[in-house]
Amino acid sequence: MSTIIETRNVRKVYGMNGVNVEAVRGIDLAIKTGEFLAIIGPSGSGKSSLLYLLGAMDRPTEGEVLFEAQNIAKMNDRQRTDLRAKKIGFIFQTFNLLPTLTAIENVEISMRLGGMPRGERWRRAGELLQKVGLAERTRHLPRHLSGGERQRVSIARAIANRPLLLLADEPTGNLDSKMGTDILELLRAIATDDGQTVVMVTHDFRAASYADRVLVLRDGRIRGETRLQGAKDSNQALRQLLNLELLRYTEKGA
Amino acid sequence: MLDIVFRNLSTRKVRTFLCMLAVLAGVFLIGVTVVMNNWMTKMMTAELARYMGKIYVQQGGSSYPPFDSSLSQDTAIKLLARTDLMLNQSASAPLIFIRTKRGMMPFMPADEMVIGIPVGQETILLGKAGAAQGVDHFPAGEQGNVALLGSTIAKQFDIVPGDEIQVNNVGVRVIGVLEESSMDSVNIAAIMPLEAVQRIFDKKDLVSSILITPNDVRQAGALAEQLRSEYPSLAVVTQEDMLAEAEEVMRQPLFYMSSMGVTGIVVAMIVIMSTMFMAVSERTREIGILRALGAQKRKIFGLVLGEALVLAMAGIPPAFALVYIMSAIMEASLPTPAQIAQIIGAALFAAIAGGCFPAWRAVHVEPLEALRYE
Repeated sequence: MSTIIETRNVRKVYGMNGVNVEAVRGIDLAIKTGEFLAIIGPSGSGKSSLLYLLGAMDRPTEGEVLFEAQNIAKMNDRQRTDLRAKKIGFIFQTFNLLPTLTAIENVEISMRLGGMPRGERWRRAGELLQKVGLAERTRHLPRHLSGGERQRVSIARAIANRPLLLLADEPTGNLDSKMGTDILELLRAIATDDGQTVVMVTHDFRAASYADRVLVLRDGRIRGETRLQGAKDSNQALRQLLNLELLRYTEKGA
Repeated sequence: MLDIVFRNLSTRKVRTFLCMLAVLAGVFLIGVTVVMNNWMTKMMTAELARYMGKIYVQQGGSSYPPFDSSLSQDTAIKLLARTDLMLNQSASAPLIFIRTKRGMMPFMPADEMVIGIPVGQETILLGKAGAAQGVDHFPAGEQGNVALLGSTIAKQFDIVPGDEIQVNNVGVRVIGVLEESSMDSVNIAAIMPLEAVQRIFDKKDLVSSILITPNDVRQAGALAEQLRSEYPSLAVVTQEDMLAEAEEVMRQPLFYMSSMGVTGIVVAMIVIMSTMFMAVSERTREIGILRALGAQKRKIFGLVLGEALVLAMAGIPPAFALVYIMSAIMEASLPTPAQIAQIIGAALFAAIAGGCFPAWRAVHVEPLEALRYE
């Protein structure tokens, strides 16, 4: 498998009220095409910042983010916007659907921005909503949908342009466990069946267990990594990761 | 993206309605200004058309109507007696104009006036206007305190022949009420024998002007030029001079009215700007989502500007409906196609000018910053 995106010594510093906060501190990372990667870490660990760097929504302070060997850091706003429209899909914790548009319109708009022909995008929007189990809810506004349904619309929107990279920021953070499971299974299927690369940020180990590979991020640095896919016992691998985290807390407490 | 524009507008109904109302008011103000301008121009040109070919000779430096002009009657008689001039003596006469009530508008010099004319020459002034009640001329040799009243003033004070009116605190008997004249100055006047007016207003042997009718209308210009060269101390006023003077008088009210229209558009622009600015602030997150999904800056700019333009376009038809009603009430001519285009252009300008800054702000919404509102 080829590498779709990689980071080289990426740093991101935010200025907040005159104080510089280093959210990402020199991360080197390579993600293969079709891989389902979970980035796990506590709040403030820099996982969302890293995700937005990968998604061309932000530019690194230092280092390189290479999307298909093109450095995002050197792209202008128009180029990064074009990249987001055509090659990257986003799923947000709070869904971020446009409140004045119906479910199908929310899906259609991303294809419109991606430059897909009109007839094709409406047909595909309908198909995608059917795929995520919302065939009967296409004409509903977001406020008339449940949290799980909204996230399904958000997923349909994110994959509408057949992006090479699908980024999910805490996709189950606002859902109950049953709905969360449904969404994770959907993401797993997108990676397995459609061969799309999925990068998911979460602080939930159970959610991370759906990924092929899990990275642990803390204080803006990668602190651990485990590969679940291919492991003899993925639960054991995850437990090891969990132990690593617990050990850190124990050391800190000591 | 027009569908999103309409969806946004239909979702925020109250805001949309208020913004439309502001545009409507702005466009209505401009429209009313145009109608008023048309109305004043129509009145002025209609009034001046009656003076075509006529020449007024009056005191140098005075304006028309010559309320402030004073000439010796002897000068007038001598001028009118000249046979070498190309003037129609039977259709020329000395006149006296006295303003008894100032006009409400600058282009209406008087609301009420007294005009003195030699007995037997009334038709020079009255034209084809006959008597609606009583008589339309003075009895031969009459020099007493009698008057023919213009239709407007007679109607206003409900005066009929036989009534007595007060002119400069002197009782004057009304002997006739005239039909409506094509000359507005006749409709608002009490027309009296010249000598009676001179007596009542203590202007013995004085007149205001000499009304001269050329033998041939086409000779008016040449005659005026001849009079100017021979009587350099007098003012020779032709229809063109009156027009120029009326335009000068009307310049200020027209300027004020135009300012009113411009103010309307500026107000509409400010309302659009503040509304759209508020809309952009409220929708920062939505704009951020669109940017995150891959909407280029120009699309966001177009979205906000499009919304402002739709608001302006929505306000235009009802504003025009009101303008048309207004013009019907005023019996003024409707805005011409060129004026309609100007009004629409002004409204669109207000929308673009008012929408540009909020659109510029929207363009600078960073997707990441907007999504951090989470």
